[in-house]
Amino acid sequence: MDFLYNLLPHLVNGIALGLLFALIALGFMLIIGVMEVINLAHGSLFALGAYIALVIITPEGGLAMPFLENWFGIAIVPRYVAALILAPFVVAFVGMGLEFCLRRTYGKDPLYGLLLTFGAALVIEEAIRVIWGHGEYVLPIPKEIRGGFIHADLIWSTYRVYAAIFSIAMIGLLWLFIEKTPYGAIIKAGAHDSEMVRALGINLPKLRTLVFGFGTALAAIAGIIMAPIWGIRPQVGVDAVVPAFVVIVLGGIGSFWGAVIAGLMVGMVVGLTAAFFSDWSLLSMYLLLLAVVTFRARGLLGKASALEN
Amino acid sequence: MQHAERWITREMLVAFLIFGTLPLWVDSVGLYSYIGVEVVIWMIFALGFNLLLGYTGLPSFGHGAFFGIGGYAFGWFQFNMMPNLWLALLFAIVMTSIIGALVALFVSHRRGIYFALLTIAFGQIFFFIASKWTSLTGGEDGMLNIKRLPADFGFVSFSLQDNTALYFFVFIVFALVVIVLWRLTHSPFGKVIRAIKQNEMRVGFLGYNVYFYKWMVFTISCAVSGLAGGLFAMAQEGAYVQVMSLQWSGIVVLMTLIGGGFVSFWGAVVGTVVFFLARDLLGTYTEAWLLWYGLMFMVLVMFKPEGIAGMWQDAVKALRRRQIVASSPSAHPVGK
Repeated sequence: MDFLYNLLPHLVNGIALGLLFALIALGFMLIIGVMEVINLAHGSLFALGAYIALVIITPEGGLAMPFLENWFGIAIVPRYVAALILAPFVVAFVGMGLEFCLRRTYGKDPLYGLLLTFGAALVIEEAIRVIWGHGEYVLPIPKEIRGGFIHADLIWSTYRVYAAIFSIAMIGLLWLFIEKTPYGAIIKAGAHDSEMVRALGINLPKLRTLVFGFGTALAAIAGIIMAPIWGIRPQVGVDAVVPAFVVIVLGGIGSFWGAVIAGLMVGMVVGLTAAFFSDWSLLSMYLLLLAVVTFRARGLLGKASALEN
Repeated sequence: MQHAERWITREMLVAFLIFGTLPLWVDSVGLYSYIGVEVVIWMIFALGFNLLLGYTGLPSFGHGAFFGIGGYAFGWFQFNMMPNLWLALLFAIVMTSIIGALVALFVSHRRGIYFALLTIAFGQIFFFIASKWTSLTGGEDGMLNIKRLPADFGFVSFSLQDNTALYFFVFIVFALVVIVLWRLTHSPFGKVIRAIKQNEMRVGFLGYNVYFYKWMVFTISCAVSGLAGGLFAMAQEGAYVQVMSLQWSGIVVLMTLIGGGFVSFWGAVVGTVVFFLARDLLGTYTEAWLLWYGLMFMVLVMFKPEGIAGMWQDAVKALRRRQIVASSPSAHPVGK
């Protein structure tokens, strides 16, 4: 029993990580669902979100201009909240620009979309290197969510608890948006049968652009939340996009709860292996993926999709 | 004569002439001999990779793993077994073939994006193993002090310490790989894998065992990558984990596509040359050369996914059409 008790913090860390993975993966999946494009640049946009938050929160981010002194002089909480709201918008615009480039690949082999977003990932990552350099940054966060607290004789990281609650809230909002609003209905219909959606008089190109922007905004939010845990560095995108793939393939493409469950599974597996073999923790998630995909090609809750062709 | 053409083509002779004489003129165009070694090794890798991407239509985003494994296998063999060039290279090929064949068991039932995702997963698995298994691979520091073993033919032995000598050695390997892969892609086997790219289901209906062919082509591609990896470890005098990362696995995809691997055997070769020229020429002007290279890649995917070889083919076609028009009687006005 003692043994299990000691595992508890690792499990909670794993769940927090898993919820964040699910959040990254959901933005990713929204795009796959409607566009049938695997956005390999998702990780780079995730990193870009963190960098833009850095610019908004601290002068270290590159905006150390005199007229902004007043802004950086105010308390950190409003700056942090502003970053959490503004950065996703900026990243969404970059995402929409990428969607504009992607238009030329619609109707062709899905491989071209994959290759184009791979190129975009490289370009965004290099652009980050040019603008912010190779070094690692630390995202300042309000002191309310820093540090740790002791509960039931165990030390808990406040930030991880905050990150978990935030992710649950975001996932819940996203679910409400997709399932309970007319916009969500259009998005789902667009994923199911785009011809029909167009026949009903919905502007499909605009829908696609907006969904792409929305998906990348989710990546940016995840990037900001993840930044204090992973640090901000140019190649952090790969660390994010690969678990997102794993979660999507594991959960099954097109399944909302599949992604959430797979995200939690991946997070817990990574968290628990980190307790015993910290060097190998990330490897465990690939082994999990192989184990599941070998027996269930479409993942846990996946349905048939155009991507299998 | 016709028989010889099946093995050696005109394009091959041109390529061999250019690369076979490279050390003679490389200095005068402002480059250096070692870049030739790297270019030729990466050409071997890209040719092997293009069996999957260009010929079978399978986008592997984890191929750097096999390149890396080849390097480690080459190093391990010369440290722990015997320092013989041929056996060490053979060991690199055999090891990557075995590992590639095992991976292929998992991925050969997939295609398109699922294939890409699974190869990413496998690539990352090998990347993690290589970076954490420090007792075998040296981890982040790499496997150091790999020797450039002499090419021993029994009666005569060549030292490959010098970059020019090493260049000629890798060039000969390249020439052999080109000939073998050319034959392979123009054999019945090559026809089947090209048909799989066009329509996998139909090939199955025709009675071919699609999975076996995909498994086979994946394994062969891995073997060629392993050979290139072994040579690269020898050239660099060390095997490093970076080449196994997702980024480098992607760069070989970029190279092959930019060159025109989708439409031509030579696309992979052209693309590798363009990549290294871009690295060395753009690299002297800006540190962010990869940014510009990536932008070039994006533009090419959007407007001309057939790459440089595709443009060349279009140009040749246009030229030929003009010649036909010029030589046909109706092109000349009657009153002339």
